[in-house]
Amino acid sequence: MSETAPSTIDYTSLVQSDRIHASLYRDPRVFDDEMERIFHRGWVFVGHESEIPRPGDFVTRTLGRQPVILARTRDAGVGVLLNRCMHRGTMVCTAPHGHTRTFQCPYHGWTYDVGGELLGVSYPGGYASLDKRSRGLLHAPRVEAYRGFVFASLDAKGIPLAEHLGPATRLIDRSCDLSPEGEVELTARWVRHRCPANWKMLPENDSDGYHLGFVHLALFKTVGSAQYQRVVGDERSIKAVVRDWGRGHIEIDWSPGYERPFEWLGNASGAAVAEYVDQMERRDGPGAARRRLLEGPAHAFIFPNLFLGETNIAIVEPIDVAESVHWHTPMFLKGVPQFNGRLLRMAEAGMGPASFLMPEDLTVASRNQLGLEARGNEWIELTRGLERESIDAEGRAVSHVTDETTNRALWQHYLSVMTA
Amino acid sequence: MVSDADYQAAVEFLYREARFADEARYAEWHALWTDDGVYWVPATTDPGASPDQHISHIYDNRARLDTRVKLLQTGHRYSQEPASPMRRLISNIEVARSEDGELVVESNFILAELSIQARHEMHWWVGHTTHRLRRVEGQLRMSHKKVVLINAAEPLPNLAFLI
Repeated sequence: MSETAPSTIDYTSLVQSDRIHASLYRDPRVFDDEMERIFHRGWVFVGHESEIPRPGDFVTRTLGRQPVILARTRDAGVGVLLNRCMHRGTMVCTAPHGHTRTFQCPYHGWTYDVGGELLGVSYPGGYASLDKRSRGLLHAPRVEAYRGFVFASLDAKGIPLAEHLGPATRLIDRSCDLSPEGEVELTARWVRHRCPANWKMLPENDSDGYHLGFVHLALFKTVGSAQYQRVVGDERSIKAVVRDWGRGHIEIDWSPGYERPFEWLGNASGAAVAEYVDQMERRDGPGAARRRLLEGPAHAFIFPNLFLGETNIAIVEPIDVAESVHWHTPMFLKGVPQFNGRLLRMAEAGMGPASFLMPEDLTVASRNQLGLEARGNEWIELTRGLERESIDAEGRAVSHVTDETTNRALWQHYLSVMTA
Repeated sequence: MVSDADYQAAVEFLYREARFADEARYAEWHALWTDDGVYWVPATTDPGASPDQHISHIYDNRARLDTRVKLLQTGHRYSQEPASPMRRLISNIEVARSEDGELVVESNFILAELSIQARHEMHWWVGHTTHRLRRVEGQLRMSHKKVVLINAAEPLPNLAFLI
């Protein structure tokens, strides 16, 4: 699919067990290789089924460099169509979301149904024989969903989604199971935040528990709650951990530091919460419900582009070697619409260009990108926590929340994909 | 229609608010709000969008507005440290009176922001603003400010200053 020959970059020398080379964030040839090997071959998150509830609903997205349409087809299935007319290559749909019966190419009027089937071409007399069945919009060859989260691969061959996710499905479960109906709904649309830095800085920062008291000092000074103190207090008093789930899926687990239910929901209380607790207890029993409501949703990155950001869902979109976009939307819990307003306001506070957290993160990411141009020391150390991380009963590396266990896990998986 | 005096007062309020925002005079800008103020920057240009159903860039009630200003005043809001030099032009001002007696002021703006916190890029912000102004103890205050950027639904760079 790439117009450039695969580079001959030796990734084994650039990604070592305790350090990485700065060119991985900086070299356009690395970016080309990543698009090909990670985003055009592997499983990539596209969107959520709740975004396209009715036949004819669609959203447009990008898989690596390739524009796609995620559509609900007439038979209520979900398709990922390449957004390119089969005639001259024109993008057939430019709206970010919508509802339609057909996609009509504006150039010569070729018309496709919402599942990509070619319905007709203008002035068909010009073609001696035109096999319409072979001229439908191309589909991503593999599309699978897990609990409504739709992933696609542009490669017909490869491991199934279940193998890609592995035990990390439990992270998705943790978030979905907070809905009394076991489903999340992403219906608030998305905010997109431009990040003047390499895309890999976004997952690294989203799973970095070390920066909070520094990058977000303004917020901690302004909102001096005990909850924040447990995140940025004395090193030994912080109970949260980082965890490596394998295959580049990495987690910050705040829950060991939580002392009561609903800290993740801004300590919500009142009648709406009581009704929710009732629903959860009826489904799970009081003990399991209490544990679930204490632990809250996942804070985890699913390789290569999905971030389960507690009460938000985020997407990492690479644009160019020094440019990316961070998408986010609140994660509504089906069955408790009374929380939607609160979840909207939490999403606006936490993520996006005008929020109280993310502008600082992306300012620092941009400064990282600028600083990495300085040569002399070309290596970035990832040694933090090497001596104190441990392997838990399930074989996962786990360590203090400020440790670089997550960075090492991400880069080791990256190396395996880039050298496959 | 409103009187010439009301029109003039509304225009002067808009210019003063713009000056305080452009010059990072946070306390003075903050003092222009009523206690029930709502500051809204939708993430869409769709006039039918609802802040109760759709995500916004900003949907601040008074408490969150206070937090927004306090963050900027800590000196550690690194996305605005130092504050972006910026200037906005306001035009196409139309003033009407609502049934509850507030002045409803529609205007357009162009804002040039020099984002100096990292890359030193010039960002252009363009949109339509609706202010609702109310007299409180003889002074005009804003109870509502809605800013609809023409690129509200596109990827945006940091918007941590006061727009």
